Amino acid sequence: MGVAATIRPRRGADARYRTTLYLLLAPFLLGVVVLVVLPVALSIGLAFTAYDGLSAPEWRGLANFRELAVDPLFHIALRNSLVFVALTVPLRLLIALGLALLLSRSRRGVGLYRVAVYVPTIVPSVAYALIWLWIFNPRYGPLNLALESLGLPAPAWLIDSTTALPAIALTALFTMGEGFVVVLAGLRSIPAECYQASAIDGAGRAATLRHITLPLLAPWLLLLTFRDVIVSAQSTFTPALLMTGGGPYYATLFVPLLMFETAFDHFRFGQGAAMMLLLLLVVGALIGLTYRAVGGWGYEDEI
Amino acid sequence: MSRALVGLLLAAVSLGQSAGAAEPPAERISFMVFGDIAEKAAYEQLVADFTRHHPRIQVSLIHIPSQGDYRKRLGVDFAAGNPADIVLLNYRRYGAFAAKGVLEPLGPYLERSRVIRERDFYPQALEPFRWGGALMCIPQNLSSLVVYYNRDLFDRAGVPRPTDDWTWDDFLHAARALTRDTKGAGRIDQYGLGTEVSIFRLAPFVWQNGGELVDDPKAPTRLALDAPLTREALQWFVDLQVTHHVVPDLAEEKAESSERRFLNGRLGMFLNSRRGVPTYRTITSFDWDVAPLPRRRQRAGILHADAYCMPKGGRAKAAAWAFIEYANSPEGQRSIATTGRTVPSLRALAESPAFLDPGSKPASSRVFLTEVPFIRAVPVTEGWIDVEDLAGEELARAFYGRAGIDEVIATTIQRAAPFFKRQRN
Amino acid sequence: MARWPRRAGFHAAALGVTAVFLVPGLWVVAASLRRPGLPPPATIEWLPDPVAWSNYARIFEVLPLARYLANSLLVAGLAVPLTILVASWAGFAMAQLPARVRHALLALAVMVRMVPLTAVWLTRFLVLRELGLSDTIWALLAPVWMGSSPFFVLIFYWSFRRLPVAMFEAARLEGVGPLRIWAWIAMPLARPAVAAVALLTFVQYWSDFMNPLLYLRSDDRYTLALGLRVLQQLDATNWPLLMAGAVVMMLPVLLLLALMQRAFWPAADGERAGASLGRLGA
Repeated sequence: MGVAATIRPRRGADARYRTTLYLLLAPFLLGVVVLVVLPVALSIGLAFTAYDGLSAPEWRGLANFRELAVDPLFHIALRNSLVFVALTVPLRLLIALGLALLLSRSRRGVGLYRVAVYVPTIVPSVAYALIWLWIFNPRYGPLNLALESLGLPAPAWLIDSTTALPAIALTALFTMGEGFVVVLAGLRSIPAECYQASAIDGAGRAATLRHITLPLLAPWLLLLTFRDVIVSAQSTFTPALLMTGGGPYYATLFVPLLMFETAFDHFRFGQGAAMMLLLLLVVGALIGLTYRAVGGWGYEDEI
Repeated sequence: MSRALVGLLLAAVSLGQSAGAAEPPAERISFMVFGDIAEKAAYEQLVADFTRHHPRIQVSLIHIPSQGDYRKRLGVDFAAGNPADIVLLNYRRYGAFAAKGVLEPLGPYLERSRVIRERDFYPQALEPFRWGGALMCIPQNLSSLVVYYNRDLFDRAGVPRPTDDWTWDDFLHAARALTRDTKGAGRIDQYGLGTEVSIFRLAPFVWQNGGELVDDPKAPTRLALDAPLTREALQWFVDLQVTHHVVPDLAEEKAESSERRFLNGRLGMFLNSRRGVPTYRTITSFDWDVAPLPRRRQRAGILHADAYCMPKGGRAKAAAWAFIEYANSPEGQRSIATTGRTVPSLRALAESPAFLDPGSKPASSRVFLTEVPFIRAVPVTEGWIDVEDLAGEELARAFYGRAGIDEVIATTIQRAAPFFKRQRN
Repeated sequence: MARWPRRAGFHAAALGVTAVFLVPGLWVVAASLRRPGLPPPATIEWLPDPVAWSNYARIFEVLPLARYLANSLLVAGLAVPLTILVASWAGFAMAQLPARVRHALLALAVMVRMVPLTAVWLTRFLVLRELGLSDTIWALLAPVWMGSSPFFVLIFYWSFRRLPVAMFEAARLEGVGPLRIWAWIAMPLARPAVAAVALLTFVQYWSDFMNPLLYLRSDDRYTLALGLRVLQQLDATNWPLLMAGAVVMMLPVLLLLALMQRAFWPAADGERAGASLGRLGA
């Protein structure tokens, strides 16, 4: 294992070396400022204005937020987004964990299985949405044809307001590939001695899982959860746009979609920014709650 | 001798220079349109014809297939500061942009034009494009809603073909006769009627029943869907699916759209404006024609009109106007009329063989002209299209049996209220 | 001997999972080969009859899909080297700076990664508009300036941190500059990281839908993602064509994944290959 090189200040050559390092860092930092820091700052500012993209922004104070507080569409969108996060994050985590445990050891053919599990993650989102749109088609789609041939109930999926959101959530369960890879890496980083020790103690597989594996994986899982909460709050845009357009009757209206339409359809960028700010606050609160709930499992480790 | 040569050379050079100087640089303008593939081809032909007449103006066509995305695209373009030089806009949608003052009024250009005159156009087409008294855009077409029908299916089922004065009852009767299970597989695979579910499709039926969509068409402040005659028409429209099942239900519609079914010969009648003709002309497997809307207490049609608008702040206004002028001259309008896309807004051209050509489908094109005196427009306000969008959402709930019409009417009126506060003009 | 049932059990479970993940792909391919315009099938069709390969030709006729494909390839193809450059430089620099700076940068990277894209859509659009980049390929490529994702910077960072310091020290004492060290020593040893970042970058730009939707106006600059969306808007229920389009869009990334599989997964032989990707944190 390597130990990082630390530069001890040592005169001209080192100063030059360090300067060059900073130069190498510069494009990234510049990019972050222009592409993230600046837009986020603008977003926060814009949330307090009315801006239609054409004339100058007009300060409105808290008026945008007051309007959102009573806007039924925003309430629906926020509720849908939260339900979606609540549905998908735990399930994705469980599936990623389960699959990683199943496929962690280097057996014959495991490489193929891992790739199979990872494939949906790299399917482009537009193609992915169209594919599921067809799979879920109540008359033509193979899913319902399969269910009918097995004598099972064949719901209307995306065109029924009670099943539409769960359907989109279902599509999100297949793309847990990134989490799968993370947990896999986490499993591999557990030193073999831990397993040997528990085997010596006579612990069975379930006990090993509970007392060795999971606690050691905990920080990974926690970080994964945080990341997934953020991602799930916004990954609904493409599926909702392409599969249902927010319907049927707003059952799949999520905040990113509402924000997009508010800004680019009704030319209300200020209102859109306010929505995003609120969503961020709610998501931040969720993450904070999660951290509290698990009692700060994460321990200080060099990430 | 050498002096003469030098003189010749100088003359040649200066001639060459002046010839070069006399050539103004080629102007590039962009023209944004919506529509499907066949409509895009129609505009490509128009652009090609224009380029033959004005070789120094290069027109690039920007094509956006869906109307919904079109508005977003235009909004983004305005926000980005680079809208197209010429934009095709429907009269129901241009209000949002006119209200923001981003369109150049074309009335003065029309007055100064030596190629086209205001009085040559159908007034019904021009009227909706007046905003605050000024003419904003030049309309290319006016069309009513008509019934496209599959002649072969009618004949095979023994249903009499639509006549010029057929009624709602005749219409329903035909639709029911044409909704059948043709393969005996226990599932309806042929429907009698297909239509978009929207207030815009509902409107002519409301008017025919003697009702109104809004409280005051000139200065609307609320939707009037709860008025008895309006409600009656709405109920009839909704019953087409909910009670009579002559229209595909939601699952069927999502599996195969009504228009697709019509193109594949599995739908008896489809409601659309003239816009569909370029696509329907590609049909080879069956014979089709158009019929006027069935009538009830009175005759009424609904205006479909698209116009060429010019965003302000463009840098090639003269060239853009040259294109708009050409597109709406008899020549330009003939060019696009031959593709079937439009009912020309120039009266003389609409009544000429360019539009009424007996050799091209639909054979009964005259129907579009006989409807003109009865055409009415929906209100033109800044927020009308938003009213239409949300009313469409609500109407779909009733149409596909998810909610009762009184609940839907109440919700729609309440939700539409804020959009009427933003007034026109 | 006691291993047999377990091994069989493992394979059964793994195969079951694989089936669930891959069978829909078969359905898609089957659907793309169906003749358009037919009434719906009565049961699942594993292979339609007749097989309509013409669908794949048709999607290129209905739309200038070939140009969209080329545009997508151009964007993704440019993004990969640019990203690798910016991300590996940043990761390399971070790996060698003093601890305080390093930790600050790590915190920055993690925080930036937590910022959802939707928070910056609108205002990034406004910023890039001011820079005059609307409707250009540079608006689509803008994220390369931050290495396309802080995650990629982190991948390189972890890779370089695992290299023995002696190598760097020796070169530095000989007066070799950081750029040279990066090019001749660090990068060749970070091949798995390069492979991973290349694949993920390609996928990110190939799949990108939001940015082309916002920034591209001219029809001839559209990417494939936007092209598929247009295909859907032109004929929303023409499933054979839509599925053919989806297949065309998926093939390049699947191919890339297959090719890079080796470098991507923790290899049975080298801890090094996997370890570089080892700490794939959030």
